[in-house]
Amino acid sequence: MLKRLDRSDLEKLLSALATGYRLLTPQRLADGTRLLRPHGEGALALQGEPVQRKPTEAFFPQHDPLLRIGEQGEVTTCDPPVRPVALFGLNAADLGCIAFIDRFFADPPADDHYLARRKDALLVGLTGFSGPGGDVLPPANGMCDLELLAFGQNWLGVPWTPRGEALLEGFPDGEQAEVEELLESARTRGNPAQDLLEKAAGLVASEVVPDDFWREVGDRCILCSGCNLACPTCTCFCVEDRQEQAVTLRSRVWDSCQFDAFMREASGHNPLGTEALRTRRRIHHKLAADVTRWGEFGCLLCGRCDRVCPTGIGIQAVAAEILARFGP
Amino acid sequence: MSATLTTCPYCGTGCMLYLLSDEQGRLVGVEPSAGHPVSRGQLCVKGWNAHAFVHHPDRLKTPLIRRQGALVPAGWDEALNLVHQRFRQIASAHGPDSLVFFSSAKVGNEENYLLMKLARAGYGTNNVDHCARLCHSSTVTGLVETLGSGAMTNTVACLDETDLVLVIGSNTTEQHPLIGSRILQAVQRGCRLIVADGRRIKLSRHADLHLRHRNGTDVALLNGIMQQILELGLEDRDFINARTENFSALQQSLAAFTPDRVAAITGLQADEIIAAARMLGSAQRAMLFYAMGITQHSHGVDNVRAVSNLALLTGNLGRPGTGVNPLRGQNNVQGACDMGALPDVLTGYQKVADPAMRERFASAWGRPLPERPGLMATHAYDAALADRVRAFLVLGENPLLSEANQAHVAKALARLEFLVVVDIFPTETTAVADVVLPAACYAEKDGTFTSTERRVQRFRRALAPPGEARADWEILSALLERCGISADYTGPSQIMEEIAAVTPSYRGISYPRLEESGLQWPCPDHDHPGTPILHQQNCTRGKGRFSPVDFRPSRELPDAAYPLLLNTGRTGMHWHTGTMTRRSHLLDREEHSAFIEIHPEDAARLSIRDRQQVSVESRRGGVRVMATLTDRVPPGQVFMPFHFVEGAANALTNNALDPESGIPEFKVCGVRITPC
Ligand code: SF4
Ligand code: SF4
Ligand code: SF4
Repeated sequence: MLKRLDRSDLEKLLSALATGYRLLTPQRLADGTRLLRPHGEGALALQGEPVQRKPTEAFFPQHDPLLRIGEQGEVTTCDPPVRPVALFGLNAADLGCIAFIDRFFADPPADDHYLARRKDALLVGLTGFSGPGGDVLPPANGMCDLELLAFGQNWLGVPWTPRGEALLEGFPDGEQAEVEELLESARTRGNPAQDLLEKAAGLVASEVVPDDFWREVGDRCILCSGCNLACPTCTCFCVEDRQEQAVTLRSRVWDSCQFDAFMREASGHNPLGTEALRTRRRIHHKLAADVTRWGEFGCLLCGRCDRVCPTGIGIQAVAAEILARFGP
Repeated sequence: MSATLTTCPYCGTGCMLYLLSDEQGRLVGVEPSAGHPVSRGQLCVKGWNAHAFVHHPDRLKTPLIRRQGALVPAGWDEALNLVHQRFRQIASAHGPDSLVFFSSAKVGNEENYLLMKLARAGYGTNNVDHCARLCHSSTVTGLVETLGSGAMTNTVACLDETDLVLVIGSNTTEQHPLIGSRILQAVQRGCRLIVADGRRIKLSRHADLHLRHRNGTDVALLNGIMQQILELGLEDRDFINARTENFSALQQSLAAFTPDRVAAITGLQADEIIAAARMLGSAQRAMLFYAMGITQHSHGVDNVRAVSNLALLTGNLGRPGTGVNPLRGQNNVQGACDMGALPDVLTGYQKVADPAMRERFASAWGRPLPERPGLMATHAYDAALADRVRAFLVLGENPLLSEANQAHVAKALARLEFLVVVDIFPTETTAVADVVLPAACYAEKDGTFTSTERRVQRFRRALAPPGEARADWEILSALLERCGISADYTGPSQIMEEIAAVTPSYRGISYPRLEESGLQWPCPDHDHPGTPILHQQNCTRGKGRFSPVDFRPSRELPDAAYPLLLNTGRTGMHWHTGTMTRRSHLLDREEHSAFIEIHPEDAARLSIRDRQQVSVESRRGGVRVMATLTDRVPPGQVFMPFHFVEGAANALTNNALDPESGIPEFKVCGVRITPC
């Protein structure tokens, strides 16, 4: 069941979503930042670079209260809001990232706090000609409830779940043929970044990248932690306890493996005590360790770490440098 | 669930970010501004954690008054009435100059303006100053003399088009990280880098030349470099002829600074000095950056003059990719200076000693103004001990931890009849106050900060202050009203209109014009686009003035009794006395206790192991801290950050002051270390 939506159909779909969900849509804020914001707050920005903040934030926020410990030691959990969220406008990489961490958080022991926000949430992909300046984005092929492929002034609605199907009910039928051009254009473009990553991963896994290289790259790290905070597949958090009168509020907070304290032992010794070792670990984790654990890269090439790193050592930049220096 | 675009509350780089809140209105995170010309979608670690202290349970939520020795909650009216009444009493008994007002480089321009108006028009004294006295007072004095303006001449974006960067006395990747990273990016594209710093700071790993001169020998080093530039004929004659004065005096003064002599003073090799001269002399465009390593000396103003001389000699001024670029530390230290929170100037550096300037303000404010320049903050402690001043109002500062020679400051504060502190958290200084007033933090109010590149930009209210805390501008307005000066401002925007009316360099600035990424002053009228680069045709003062300087050693050098040189500063994780960052979980976890960096050779000699507790003593005090063995410091030098109350570097530092700027010598004193 494919549907063809024009602009007014799209508005209808969005209002339907807004009644059942806390709907977030891509919007461009006054300074130019493109973010997922509550629908209706500002104008929709249906084309553009990936939304800057990682969409996984909706299920795993930067600062998230977990529980309260009372005077007598009684524990009450902080329950996430009941109204489920709908994320509209996700590209294939971001949908891949959400799927990646869904599996991680659902893996036993399951993370109830994450799942409470995630379970009734709705994901809407936005692909096709909706990249920067109307550039083509590859189709998501699943990983969401429904996908909208932008072409011309229209969108081809593709349902991937029964919920997606229900939402598309009533819109005029569409044809696969209408998006042939965009599928072709995505196909011919290939995925050079993926090729780069695979080649670099091979070199990282075969240990041909010397320590000196990591020292050189690590020397450029200014320890901002942005690469981890921006990465949708980064799931590490630390626990913050704050005491107000006799009540302790325990929250989890996004952590970063670029920090020295991330691995520092109580003795003060740190097996990963230099930026070189930590940068190596960050890249190694995504390109080698995750492959062992999950059978796929921990990087879906969303582009955020390269964009946020003030000194140009995001994963693609490092991969390119590895390939240039140690590749065939 | 709001996203509020605001300015980072930490360093003077002036990044903009979104404060993100949840459905309950609690701050849950930070996202950098994509469109801002400095942050460009990126932040440093402090910026990423700018939300983290805001909801901390320690926040001050109600006014406190000392009764029977203890600080107890009070109402706002009661507290404000008490402050006003005591100030009035003390001023009438001992004269208005017995009051001292410490403004704050952390609060907005509007608030600095109101505080200096309160001091001058409200209570009749020019005794108003702020922590620029401790960081860039040397710059303001030195560069006003040589160029006519004490601010960064160029803009951060100039790093994209420069050929050479000299960083002297600035740990830029830790203290101005988004400028430090821009320097690293420049190096990646082929720009050359000279780092002059005794410590092996991160930037030095990327430098073409790392000059590890002895702390306190900057004048000798810079004079030596200039002497060689002349020797090699690499000076910019056209620029010198067209744009400068007093060149021959400079030339004469440099003659004695031969490479061999300079090598002996600085501990460098003669050929390192010559290499630096070659690089600086042959670069088409060079940017000179400096910070506290230059300013915080008993010869801080001379250091600044020497940097300025070097820029003039090589013609690196008034063009893109050049300039004398002092990096202002606090988010609004540039603004606090611009607003006249200084004892000798009104807004825009208009001198109180000038009757015409005074008249301008007297007629705007409807009050006669005091003529005599006031006390510098660093002189106020001696004045308190001599009973010449009797009451302080301290706005958002923690002098008990931030000033040199803690014991001296503690004695002076104890001597006061009346101490009022306005702050967001309890600090070492609020603990000894008579009245404590709870303030809103940057996230809970509106206003403007002026960044190091003279960019006036908005910070915006994202949530309400906790408890009864109030914005500083509201607190100061209430005191102005008590002084009989109408201050029923609708908000900071209206205060900015008043500032613009009396300040030529801010005349074109108004809130509607600041909506996007702010405006760089001077901005003399409402259509003016702002000024990214100063001194383009002429210097602010006309000709750039060479100001020859001689080398004077630091006041207290290591000797037999105190054989190690103590250097002090900050870490990348913490902000000053840690009031905010030590209450930010990740920052506190990363760097969570006081330490001293010591070279392994010195440690071996003293039988000190890594992470061992040691006792550090100077002539002024002693502390216990953890030893960190590292070759970041050269042998003979140790380094301590001043963030930690439990191992306060400023218990040790020397309050020897620069005679002109009154800045203390934070960077050099003698200490001895013994294992505990
Ligand atoms: S591109 Fe960077 S931020 Fe995005 S998934 Fe890969 S590692 Fe994470
Ligand atoms: S974003 Fe870049 S500079 Fe920041 S922590 Fe990561 S690697 Fe280091
Ligand atoms: S560089 Fe300075 S202004 Fe920018 S985020 Fe860091 S502390 Fe804030």
